[in-house]
Amino acid sequence: MQEKTLGDYIITVDGISKTFPNGVCALCDFTTKIRRREVVVVIGPSGSGKSTFLRCLNGLEDIDSGSIVIDGIPLDDNKKNRLEIRKEVGMVFQLFNLFPHMTVLENVNLAQRLVRKKTKEGARQATMDLLNKVGMPEKATSYPSQLSGGQQQRVAIARALAMMPKIMLFDEATSALDPEMIGEVLDVMKTLAREGMTMVVVTHEMGFAREVSDRVIFIEEGRIVEEGTAEHFFTNPREERTKLFLSQIL
Amino acid sequence: MRRRKVKITPLDLFVVLLLVGAGLYLAYRMKVGLHYKWKWGVIPQYLFRFDQENNKWVANLLMQGLFTTIRLSVWATILATILGTVMGLFRVSQSLFKRLTGRTYVELIRNLPPLVLIFIFYFFVSDQIMPVLGVDEFVRSRSESTQAVLTFLFAPPSLFTAFLSALITLAVFEAAYITEIVRAGIQSIEKGQWEASYALGLSWWQQMRYIVLPQAMQRILPPLAGQLISTIKDSAVVSIISIPELTFQGMELMSATYLTFECWITIGVLYLILTLSLSLAVERLEIYMRRSEA
Ligand SMILES: Nc1ncnc2c1ncn2[C@@H]1O[C@H](COP(=O)(O)OP(=O)(O)OP(=O)(O)O)[C@@H](O)[C@H]1O
Ligand SMILES: [Mg+2]
Repeated sequence: MQEKTLGDYIITVDGISKTFPNGVCALCDFTTKIRRREVVVVIGPSGSGKSTFLRCLNGLEDIDSGSIVIDGIPLDDNKKNRLEIRKEVGMVFQLFNLFPHMTVLENVNLAQRLVRKKTKEGARQATMDLLNKVGMPEKATSYPSQLSGGQQQRVAIARALAMMPKIMLFDEATSALDPEMIGEVLDVMKTLAREGMTMVVVTHEMGFAREVSDRVIFIEEGRIVEEGTAEHFFTNPREERTKLFLSQIL
Repeated sequence: MRRRKVKITPLDLFVVLLLVGAGLYLAYRMKVGLHYKWKWGVIPQYLFRFDQENNKWVANLLMQGLFTTIRLSVWATILATILGTVMGLFRVSQSLFKRLTGRTYVELIRNLPPLVLIFIFYFFVSDQIMPVLGVDEFVRSRSESTQAVLTFLFAPPSLFTAFLSALITLAVFEAAYITEIVRAGIQSIEKGQWEASYALGLSWWQQMRYIVLPQAMQRILPPLAGQLISTIKDSAVVSIISIPELTFQGMELMSATYLTFECWITIGVLYLILTLSLSLAVERLEIYMRRSEA
């Protein structure tokens, strides 16, 4: 594996807590720092707070306490800051969430036109480049419903990348896919990782973690239980709970 | 599409016989009990009459009423759609004040008898708002050709203010229902659509305009068309404020001819022609929408 050098801290999460109205503490005093170009894989049992963590990073979920700073911008109540962060942070969802009434081209174009204020031609050019990158240039005029799950997810990745984000969040991007399609999506994600994208990836694909991640975080009940390299998790996990969890997913 | 085979069971036959029997009995009662003499021959001349001067057939009382009903319903639905969309957006707004405004509006309108509402609102609009706006002078000061167009689209100058007031009253009433249709349509869009567009950096209004409303439209359109049918039926209520729509004309005819049954049956049939043909159209629309959704 080629070496890449990690940069300064681009994400600083300091003691954040999130409790849902039903009293569930999804994140409890959660602290971590992520460097530029770092690929962090987040694992943990269902309901441990993985999605909540990702959703807090781009403001989809409000935190109750603590602080989040993304590339020097504090994620607070300031609308301008929030918009800036949304522009810098791309997100890929488990269920793709493509816009069904738009073609692939329009899906990828939309935010470039509305948020980045690109010209029609400029957006189209960038979109075609991205569709090439995710391996489906011939699908530009198709509607999401005409695509397979794997293809839809690759379009969703292209759509997020079209905003030229500095950080990409993936929330179980391959969990809703048929096994034969997981590979094609993981390949795109691996390419991104190798190109130096800062990524926070919730996944149970430990192969992906081993191949491209710099760090794995295991969380349970809203807290970090253990973190280290993928190799560390494979060879000598420290905590009993980690061992138990790994034995279930491996 | 394959047609389902129609199967008639003895029970169906029995029910049909029962209905026919009831119908015959009713006719018999009218004949014997009420000594009712049908005079259907009187009705057609109130639909159309022959204009001697211009040497052509023109619409008379009932048809004029029908046209007024159509004008009233179409305009009211259009106006109500605009108001209902705004209020529907208020209902799902992030601002508490707007949500409260939308909610109050809907609850107030839906929980009052339409007749009471018409009385309150009509007199408020026609007495207070219309004179301020100077609608009456405006219409009367138009050129003859403009007045002709206004008469065709709305009502003759003499009735213009009253028509407009009735129109607004009806629209405000129907818009409450359209508000709920719009709200339900917007809320039927999956959360994931909001989240994906939020993550891309779209503003609330952009999310609404480019992602949610276009999708909600498909689900809103059929019930909205259905609301037009309701408006046609509800428009009868403005007869109480002397707008010469179908029901009002019916009452006029009644007092002139005393032909209770002929008159109201004719009115009923005219309403049915309007509403049934529209509901068939709505049915087609729904089938069409469902096909494009799949
Ligand atoms: N909108 C919500 N309202 C109430 N509780 C919620 C909400 N979203 C999440 N939770 C709760 O917060 C906790 C963490 O949820 P989260 O979705 O972050 O878990 P997760 O680790 O992503 O789980 P999974 O692997 O099932 O996706 C869970 O107990 C969940 O029930
Ligand atoms: Mg999750």
